[in-house]
Amino acid sequence: MQAAASSTALRLAEVRKMFLTRNGQVVNALAGVSLEVGRSEVVAVLGPSGCGKSTLLRVLAGLDDAYNGTINSDRAAGADARTTERLQSATVFQTDSTLPWMTVEQNLRVGLAGLSIDRATQKERIDRYLGLVGLADFRNAYPHELSGGMRQRVAIARALASEPLLLLMDEPLAALDAQTRLVMQQELLAIWAVTRSTVVYVTHDIAEALALADRVVVMSARPGRIKSVHDVPFPRDRDVIEMRRHPAFRELEVALWKSVAEEVGSSLGAPAKPAASTIGVRIDDIARSV
Amino acid sequence: MTTSPVASDDPATRAIVARTLALQRRQSIMRIVLGAGFPLALFILWEVLARTGLIDQRFFPAPSRIIATTLDTLGNATDRRQLSAGLLVTLARLTVGFVLGAGIGILAGILMGLYMPIRFALGPMVYATFPTPKIAIFPLLIVMFGIGDASKMALVALGVFFMTCMSTLSGVLYANPIYADVAQAFRIPTWTRWTRVIIPSALPAIVTGLKLGLGQALILVVSAEFVSSQNGLGHFIWNSWQVLDIPRMFMGLVVVGIIGGCAVLAGDTLERRLIPWARH
Ligand SMILES: Nc1ncnc2c1ncn2[C@@H]1O[C@H](COP(=O)(O)OP(=O)(O)OP(=O)(O)O)[C@@H](O)[C@H]1O
Ligand SMILES: [Mg+2]
Repeated sequence: MQAAASSTALRLAEVRKMFLTRNGQVVNALAGVSLEVGRSEVVAVLGPSGCGKSTLLRVLAGLDDAYNGTINSDRAAGADARTTERLQSATVFQTDSTLPWMTVEQNLRVGLAGLSIDRATQKERIDRYLGLVGLADFRNAYPHELSGGMRQRVAIARALASEPLLLLMDEPLAALDAQTRLVMQQELLAIWAVTRSTVVYVTHDIAEALALADRVVVMSARPGRIKSVHDVPFPRDRDVIEMRRHPAFRELEVALWKSVAEEVGSSLGAPAKPAASTIGVRIDDIARSV
Repeated sequence: MTTSPVASDDPATRAIVARTLALQRRQSIMRIVLGAGFPLALFILWEVLARTGLIDQRFFPAPSRIIATTLDTLGNATDRRQLSAGLLVTLARLTVGFVLGAGIGILAGILMGLYMPIRFALGPMVYATFPTPKIAIFPLLIVMFGIGDASKMALVALGVFFMTCMSTLSGVLYANPIYADVAQAFRIPTWTRWTRVIIPSALPAIVTGLKLGLGQALILVVSAEFVSSQNGLGHFIWNSWQVLDIPRMFMGLVVVGIIGGCAVLAGDTLERRLIPWARH
């Protein structure tokens, strides 16, 4: 992890984003986000609903240019030579993003259209990643014939198949049952060990953030800022179930719960209890020193 | 897909399948019986009213007489040639005008949907001229394209253009924005983006536009042939009316009706083919 972050893949400096609503009100979505993500690093982003996580990912994906601040990435530098076989970045959206007029297989293929890889390689990748998300039998099905969780797995496979240098995932596993989620987490770790993608992973699930990430970023309630950053002291070849036994895992989990709960409280208008906040900070400090 | 064949030896499964099939069968029987039976009942009523003299036989001849005249005409080589020649002429005008109008309309609709300056430039003009009855500018088209086929094709094209352009535009504008996001996020190249993302996402609206356009086209071609033509189905109908050969006129109407029916059928088939993901 730390070794992998030897060079920076993504550098955000004071990124601000506002929306102007229909009736002329300004919604501050991001209020100065600064973050560095190392190459091949996995960063999980936690934060209360509406704090700007999806907004941040859209900006990173290049879907929204109307922001202030600077974003430097490998893409801008054109650092990697293998750009033709891997997308610079790919996104798994929070909402259903399958294209309903295409079969599952075509949905994956269209994601590879920007790459210069031959048909055989395309087919190999499609087969491999459909198998990984457990949809090999459904390659000829249309999205409306699938369940919500299956559709989300199609979107995940589509993003993985492009083997992006930067992978942006917005609560990709939220629609799955707890067991499937654990299996998918383990698979994602295995895939990233091979592709060495840089990953920004938005989730509401604190255990999931710890299972997958090298670092966990907690965002404040809207307007979103980075409230705290926590290193996850586990090696990459971890077992997402076994690691839960580890005291460091549980301590970090509690710290993150408190940190996020404070923000949820303030985003819902309830002042956070002072006591809780002190404990939050204390455990936070312990977590940092782990 | 692996929908494994249903284990037909399981009685519960078999019962459910049988019940579903029976329901489907009952529905399709009802559709045929009502769809054909209701018009048939109206024809019988018409026949009775005509025979008893309750409606004027001169203008509403009994269906049996129309059928007899039709068979007569179809048996007569000259008449048959006249009708089939008229049909061909009308179909040619219809097809050329439709393809032209639909092609330009769909392209314009997509461009307007995708590029704001084009939308701002063309939008007001399209919306302002849309409500004009197209047949009212037919004289202008004759001035521009002459008295022959070209002006009638232009009229058809104009009518189809508005239907397809406006429908396609709303299809592109109101397509789920996530599709454009996917295209952008995966850097899908322009050509693939158009053919695999933008056009399919607007396809339901495009097909609706095509179906509406087909109806317009038929109205316009027959109207144009009414007022200025020496051939075509419109002329056949109008001419029959002027010489008061009413059964012959009805025959023309029936042929126009059949074209319309075929058009609707073609539209529905197209829809099912092109939009397999929508539930019909
Ligand atoms: N297109 C938009 N127009 C106006 N306001 C917007 C728009 N998109 C997002 N917002 C606002 O920006 C804020 C952040 O939204 P965002 O979708 O990034 O939240 P989020 O952190 O992803 O929440 P969740 O966890 O519920 O998905 C919200 O307050 C939302 O109302
Ligand atoms: Mg979100």
